[in-house]
Amino acid sequence: MAVAPRRKVYEGSRIPQPIPTVLEVDPSRHDVDDILRVNFGPNHPSTHGVLRLIVDLDGEQIAGIAAVVGYLHTGFEKTMENKTWWKGITYPERIDYVSFQNNELVFVLAIEQLLGLQIPRKATWMRMAMCELNRIHSHLVWLGTSALELGAISMFWYAFRERDLVLDLTEMVGGTRMHTRYFQAGGLAEDIPPGFYAEARKFCDRMPKAVDDYEAILDRNEIWLRRTKGIGLLSPDDALALGQSGPVLRGSGVDWDLRRDQPYLAYDEADFRVPVYPEGDVYARYKVHMDEMRQSTRIIAQCIERLETMEGEPWIADDRKVVLPPRHELHTSMESLIHHFKIVTEGYVVPEGEIYVPIESPRGELGCYVVSDGGPRPWRVKFRAPSFVALEATATCMSDALVADMIAIVGSLDGVMGEVDR
Amino acid sequence: MAVERTRRKVSDRPLAKAGLQSERLLWPTRGPGVFEQEVENLEDALGLTTVQKAVAWAQSHSVWPDTFGLACCAIEMMSIVSSRYDISRFGMERFSSSPRQADLLIVSGRVVHKMAAPLRQVYDQMLEPKWVIAMGACASSGGMFNNYTVLQGVDKIVPVDIHVPGCPPRPEALMEGIIRLHEKIQAGVPPAYQIRGVAE
Amino acid sequence: MAYEGVPGLVETKVAYGETTLVVDPARVVEACTYLRDEQGFNVLADLAAADYLGWGARGVAGYIGTPAGRDLNSPGSQGLERVPAPKPKRFSVSYHLLRIGSDARRVRVQVWLDDGEDVDSVVGVWPTADWHEREAWDLYGIRFAGHPNLVRILMDDDWDGHPLRKDYPLGGEPVRFSEDE
Repeated sequence: MAVAPRRKVYEGSRIPQPIPTVLEVDPSRHDVDDILRVNFGPNHPSTHGVLRLIVDLDGEQIAGIAAVVGYLHTGFEKTMENKTWWKGITYPERIDYVSFQNNELVFVLAIEQLLGLQIPRKATWMRMAMCELNRIHSHLVWLGTSALELGAISMFWYAFRERDLVLDLTEMVGGTRMHTRYFQAGGLAEDIPPGFYAEARKFCDRMPKAVDDYEAILDRNEIWLRRTKGIGLLSPDDALALGQSGPVLRGSGVDWDLRRDQPYLAYDEADFRVPVYPEGDVYARYKVHMDEMRQSTRIIAQCIERLETMEGEPWIADDRKVVLPPRHELHTSMESLIHHFKIVTEGYVVPEGEIYVPIESPRGELGCYVVSDGGPRPWRVKFRAPSFVALEATATCMSDALVADMIAIVGSLDGVMGEVDR
Repeated sequence: MAVERTRRKVSDRPLAKAGLQSERLLWPTRGPGVFEQEVENLEDALGLTTVQKAVAWAQSHSVWPDTFGLACCAIEMMSIVSSRYDISRFGMERFSSSPRQADLLIVSGRVVHKMAAPLRQVYDQMLEPKWVIAMGACASSGGMFNNYTVLQGVDKIVPVDIHVPGCPPRPEALMEGIIRLHEKIQAGVPPAYQIRGVAE
Repeated sequence: MAYEGVPGLVETKVAYGETTLVVDPARVVEACTYLRDEQGFNVLADLAAADYLGWGARGVAGYIGTPAGRDLNSPGSQGLERVPAPKPKRFSVSYHLLRIGSDARRVRVQVWLDDGEDVDSVVGVWPTADWHEREAWDLYGIRFAGHPNLVRILMDDDWDGHPLRKDYPLGGEPVRFSEDE
């Protein structure tokens, strides 16, 4: 867990003053009369969603930048205060819509920790497998879209080819490609379907070769290297001061991954490596993403091996006050019928308290702060979105950047506007 | 030529002759469905000339969508460009970021109050003829969000031709919506702004 | 305990494996600086505001018992209405701190405010607080004194009101059913 960086990316701190998130034009370096203010509006060719950048340009060079967000503010947190815990699980999925399983997981983990539920190990390992599949999905979407923006257009089709395989697996398990609502408080909504292990194994065999293909196209490509090496530098101290996490932090040389350092689910029993690259540029973040895809494939293979030994075990906790009873019991047991009724109409209640649960989503530390008043609905739910924090680093990374570099940098920060705006 | 309105196995209307039978893909012997019947009525009423039909054929085979991806539906919209679902079979792989060169606005995702003005501005910047597909539950009606910030249906601010349900709709579902739009164009159905009589 | 030296400490709570340090709002910058420099909390993971207007007003039929079973001897355990413990003031701002390093730890610093009370901004301690505090201002109306750019971030620039407050309506439209027409 070494944090002290061995190599300095740049001297001192590049965080702009007085406002850390706004780069203002420096009159000593740019002629103020030559500055052109351009609006990269909410609708733009880049595929990151509705991010608006107000950029002051001195020729091609970026002299000042400010990000405007809020064009996708859906009011998740207030809406969830009016839904029961059970029905509320459908909402977090749509916050970070590219890594939906991780969002479900963080909310469900928060509920379970407040309730003090014991989760069966089959559910834990399956959740791990689904979240790692989701990590691969997220990185594939990132890779396809970021490479597309930088001109490596064919990467989009390669990445989405494998993405469809991941979604086939998700569809087999959860019934729909995205937003499956497969995780429930207590475990999984349904048992693992037969045939899943064989399909997942096929996927795990295919994925490393696919990553090899991607790296063959990009890793030593002259144009890719010129557009990503040395671009968007972020030193480890600045990254920590700006609260970064995930690939942005690991691409700046800080060895921190919640799956290994503050493990949740069963990550302490899984064997995987955490990639760290010290250069702090866009290329380093790209390498972190690629290596993480390989490591996720390893984790999925281990989960499948463990899950195959758990045939016939329960997939959800036994606590009837929280978990719906199996349907066949409703015909014979009065208590089951009443519990079913209470859970569906009023909803299960979660004891009074507050909790903050962090997990390692593909973008970084995704946290869920839940306050419960002991009732059937949450009192306050707040999601700590890693993309929200990553966009705060835009201004710092943009020193000496050209307009073309801006595309690369914003892409490498891997922002999903759904979770920035919530 | 007498026009029969009874249900029959295969339609002999121009639309069916053109080979597009979207409701019959899975059920070849089924008679014309509701959509086709409605379009038949319009075809009769409009009485297109050959030139109009040729223009409609050309327009429908090269509809260029605008990149208006907002939220989760945008990811599924991107996947119709991918090789498995391949929208370039229909001449639509050229997503245009500039609304001035786009024909179709696929509003994919929830439209919030802050985004409503840019959406309307992008719609206004498109040149006629232009069509709008409201993709997903959120664009059609606000979806699962009924609160202070989400627009309850994008047809409050732009006229919509096709609504595609789903959360998010499968790529095949979006393709179905797009194919129906092509059928509408070929049949000569005017774009929504003409039907609703709203400002162009 | 490790946190006795925190300036302005009012109370320490430990629950669900987490430590919460309730701090006097006038000394929050001192406390955060102390935690960052002396205790090594180099990352501000999250800054969450919450509104407790109406807390405990309606009787809440709580889950009384433990995962192992209901405690029938505990008062109010027959499913009767049980009111949650009252909160000191209307708003709480929780700073979730993280120490990345050899002894990785988390702690929550919490301050309590009334409507209209200001709290000092911690942008000088961790620059990442910039957007978090703007969000708290935008959605709750909590003022952070000394923040360099306290403007709305998620809502429209000319929006009226602070949406996540409990007295702000959820909004939306009533759903129309076809048989009603």
